[in-house]
Amino acid sequence: MNEYFRWWYQWFRDTVLVIPGRVIAFIFFAFLFLVPLVTTHPTLLRILILAAIFAIYAASWDVLAGFTGQLNLGHALFFGVGAYTAGLLNLHFDLPPWVTIPLAGACAVVVGMIAGMPALRLRGFYLALVTLAFPIILTGVIFAFPDFSGGELGLYGISHLSDCRTSDYYIIVLIMVCSVVVMYKFTDARSRSIRTGVMLHAVREDEIAARASGVDTTRYKILAFAVSGFFGGIAGGIYAHFMRVVGPSTLDIFFSFQAIIWTVFGGIATIYGPVAGVYILYPLTELLGTDAFGQQIRFAVLALLMIFILLFMPDGIAVWIRDKIEVKCPRCKLVNVATRQYCRACRAPLYLEKTKSTGKKEEGENETEIHL
Amino acid sequence: MAKIIVNGLVSGGVYAVLAVGFSLVFGVARILNMAHTAFYMIAAFFIFVCTVMSGFPLLLSVALAIFLVSVVGILCHKLFFDRIKEHTIPVMLVSVGLAILFQELLVMGFGGTYRAIPPLVAGFVEIAGVRVPWQHLLALGTSIVILIGLWLLLSKSRLGKAIRAVANDREIANVMGIDVGWVCTITVGISAGLAAIAGAIVAPIVMVHPLMWMQPLVITLAAVVLGGLGSIRGSVIGAFILGFAETATVFLMPMGSFLKGAVALGIMIVVLLLRPDGLFGVIFEEERL
Amino acid sequence: MKSKILSLLLLCVLVVTSVIVGCAPEAPEARPTIKIGVLGALDFESGKHFGYGAKMAVDEINAAGGVLVNGVRYDMEAVIVDSNEMLSVADAVAAAENLITLDKVNCIVGCLRSEAVLGIQDVAADYKTIYLSSSSAPEQSMRVAKDYDRYKYWFRVGTVHSGNAGKIIFGGADLVANAVRRDLGIDTPKVAVVLEKLTWTEPMIPAAQGLLPKLGMEIVGIWQPSATASDVTAELSDIKDSGAHMIMRVVSGPITSVLDKQWGELQIPAALCGFNLEGTSYGFWENTMGKCNYAELTSVNADVKASDITLPFYDNFVERYGELPLLGATMAYDSPYILKAAIERADTLDSDALVIEIEKTDQPISNAPRCTFDPLGSELPHEMTFGPGYMTGYSMQWQDGKLMCVWPDGRPFLGDKKWEGLRYEGTVDYKLPPWMVEYWKSK
Repeated sequence: MNEYFRWWYQWFRDTVLVIPGRVIAFIFFAFLFLVPLVTTHPTLLRILILAAIFAIYAASWDVLAGFTGQLNLGHALFFGVGAYTAGLLNLHFDLPPWVTIPLAGACAVVVGMIAGMPALRLRGFYLALVTLAFPIILTGVIFAFPDFSGGELGLYGISHLSDCRTSDYYIIVLIMVCSVVVMYKFTDARSRSIRTGVMLHAVREDEIAARASGVDTTRYKILAFAVSGFFGGIAGGIYAHFMRVVGPSTLDIFFSFQAIIWTVFGGIATIYGPVAGVYILYPLTELLGTDAFGQQIRFAVLALLMIFILLFMPDGIAVWIRDKIEVKCPRCKLVNVATRQYCRACRAPLYLEKTKSTGKKEEGENETEIHL
Repeated sequence: MAKIIVNGLVSGGVYAVLAVGFSLVFGVARILNMAHTAFYMIAAFFIFVCTVMSGFPLLLSVALAIFLVSVVGILCHKLFFDRIKEHTIPVMLVSVGLAILFQELLVMGFGGTYRAIPPLVAGFVEIAGVRVPWQHLLALGTSIVILIGLWLLLSKSRLGKAIRAVANDREIANVMGIDVGWVCTITVGISAGLAAIAGAIVAPIVMVHPLMWMQPLVITLAAVVLGGLGSIRGSVIGAFILGFAETATVFLMPMGSFLKGAVALGIMIVVLLLRPDGLFGVIFEEERL
Repeated sequence: MKSKILSLLLLCVLVVTSVIVGCAPEAPEARPTIKIGVLGALDFESGKHFGYGAKMAVDEINAAGGVLVNGVRYDMEAVIVDSNEMLSVADAVAAAENLITLDKVNCIVGCLRSEAVLGIQDVAADYKTIYLSSSSAPEQSMRVAKDYDRYKYWFRVGTVHSGNAGKIIFGGADLVANAVRRDLGIDTPKVAVVLEKLTWTEPMIPAAQGLLPKLGMEIVGIWQPSATASDVTAELSDIKDSGAHMIMRVVSGPITSVLDKQWGELQIPAALCGFNLEGTSYGFWENTMGKCNYAELTSVNADVKASDITLPFYDNFVERYGELPLLGATMAYDSPYILKAAIERADTLDSDALVIEIEKTDQPISNAPRCTFDPLGSELPHEMTFGPGYMTGYSMQWQDGKLMCVWPDGRPFLGDKKWEGLRYEGTVDYKLPPWMVEYWKSK
């Protein structure tokens, strides 16, 4: 038993504590898990639950756009398809949520593939504008078959995820944490075990060079599309079971833009960026919504915030903060806390300007000292 | 048949004015200005304020609106787009943010209800058995005049040549001594002015409300993509194709007339499948290998 | 670097102000109050009227001494919140939940959009809170029939029984067809049916195909434009070509002003009748530039002497707000009075007891002589009872800038003789549009 705990403690100390970004992530997840122990106020839980759902939604957009550079202006398609699938399966076939939600994800992928096939031939802006069209077309189809889809009334009476809101909360947060971790691992270029991240970065940076190096870029683009669609559909499925009402609003153009707003605010091409963006912006808009004056200025504030971030911190707020607290070693590329002077692995000086004056002595020091 | 032609021409004409403005800005300044139809909306509201709320004559309000919106467009460019013009995607997102901001400001000022503006010319005329309001014909006429005027500007005048040069190859234009920044600013002003004109001629036909920018934006984007990004001729043709597609849907499928948006977009996708660069797509110099 | 610090500072300022604004504490209460949460889309006229009506009723009740519960005098308070239902159903549901959990209201009143009402019904059921809504979808009352114990807290107030709402629209068509027969001598008027493409109008298609021929009319075509259509000149041209004498339109979305306005502008020679959600306000006359003259539409309120409450209510409302009351206004005005009566009969604020008392409601309201609710056991329970002497709705016609009531006009309703003689003081006769009469007479 002691061994077990010591292993966990060492992992915690060596892997999590060394990088401030990971510390923040840890604190954040811990906070999410501990909130219901302090208070179970239904409004607070509702906001956090919806934030978790939208975090999965925004992160799934980032997988595609941030990493393969394929700007998807119609991401609401996956969400809407997922939501409607879960709702229809639940209403017509009485399937429980733990069956409908994965099926929702799968269905979103299939629809995404059908929609994405023609899109593969298109470049840049053409792709972006075609993706904008798909949710609109699907909305038209929904209105064309109102008996099946409920038309503008949508589907209602979908079953709960669980009996009380607190257990709903835990289930959803757990799904969110797992999804975000999976998406992060899938796109992380530094990961040694899963190499897809490096490939995706290569595709985004220079597709032609990647192809020349023998990387099957089409396969990776499709893979990214599938992962993005799957998690977008999962988010939609969870939404259906939480709200218990699903309507054409899940395919709204503005909702597609929301994913982009949240991600860009937090930091594109990182998975923690969209999560941060959602958890900062969404509770803010909801909080503003509880006050009469705030309700009026809600979206104006959101739009203003986004414009400011884009003008002054175009990489996103999470990335801006990350760059303030973390620094990459110039020699071994390992991430360090910004307050350190020397890299924790190779002992190279992290800030070149500061060590300029001491010159030779530093060089000698580095060559003799070897560390773990 | 006559109905489809007449109504199709009118909607196509209006979309063409919007599409051309959008395409111009994109071709010259490489800005995907999603707030383009928001300018159109601001012009419509400004005319509403001037005519219905303050009682100014309509023509004066229209002229003022065009001037004001052009200035707003140039301001947006200088304050927002110019700062980050190297990154195309953030520019597009900033324009989305601006559009939403304008929408919310208008909601705060006017509420979400629908308003009406008096038409420049009231009444209707019968053409080939079809009753067409004079305002619709005016819209069509104005679109044609504007398009011809723009074509003359671009092909005959010095400014037009400069614009075409910058659109064609920015670096070489700069080397040749054309002030690229100034040309971009002028183009943004012209584009916003075009959006304002579209707002002025269409506003009496449709209702004025803070959400009126979304639907024309989708059609404008579709028209520009269909015609091929960077080609003005393509945008005009794309706009007319979509205008006719929408009108045909309404007449041939009266029970399906709500699908006209979806049909128009469907046509855009089909064309892109066959020609991935749009009908008259232009390859930009950055992408030439 | 400076600009980045500045922008981060600005960001913090924005965030902090938002938090402060959102967490602003409420003023402490004076007397025990019964809080009524009022939901409406405040960005739109129809939504604002929920607030207006509720406020008026609450002020009147408080001035008359409040509500007596168990010997204690309570004041009523209307907590008016934006539901934003037109743009986001999720917002409306969230607003309802906030009203119950944060503002601690005793009951919720309002909401027009069917999707939103369905969502809020669930919230009210979860928290066992009384919910009085508007809207007109039978799905809402069918839920009460299917699962009474869960959904019994919901009642529909101020709107015609959703199973019969379609009938009064056809009643309007019948009225106009009668005028066509009388003035133009055409036995079987031709009708063009225009329905906005939404789920709630779908049942109208088979209903029209079944009912209109029985009433002596011929359907020449069915058009279904989008509810958000901004230009219907194409459809109108088509309709004129079809030779229709009447257009029966059922619209509620943004298309409402467009349709009536363009009909008037093009002077389509067909009488306009049916349902138009926005059509009963002064704003509508302005928005259509007066082109809606001679358009007929059904409404839930009219300034005729339906009950002793109606005309005083109209006068007070117009004086206070400068507008004609819309659907939300009458509904939100009547709801506090219905609640007051039920609370005083039950002598408690407990929801379950109140449900039983509300079901026993039998009082005059502002738009009908008598309000009672269909009991459990009927096909659509908790809807307002429909019939002569109860809530029947009205048909209105714009006549030169004035909205006049043209039905109930004393004739049998869809052949039912029980309605004969039902005509309220202030009702006038329906008139055909003069350009239409000219057109057909010259043929």
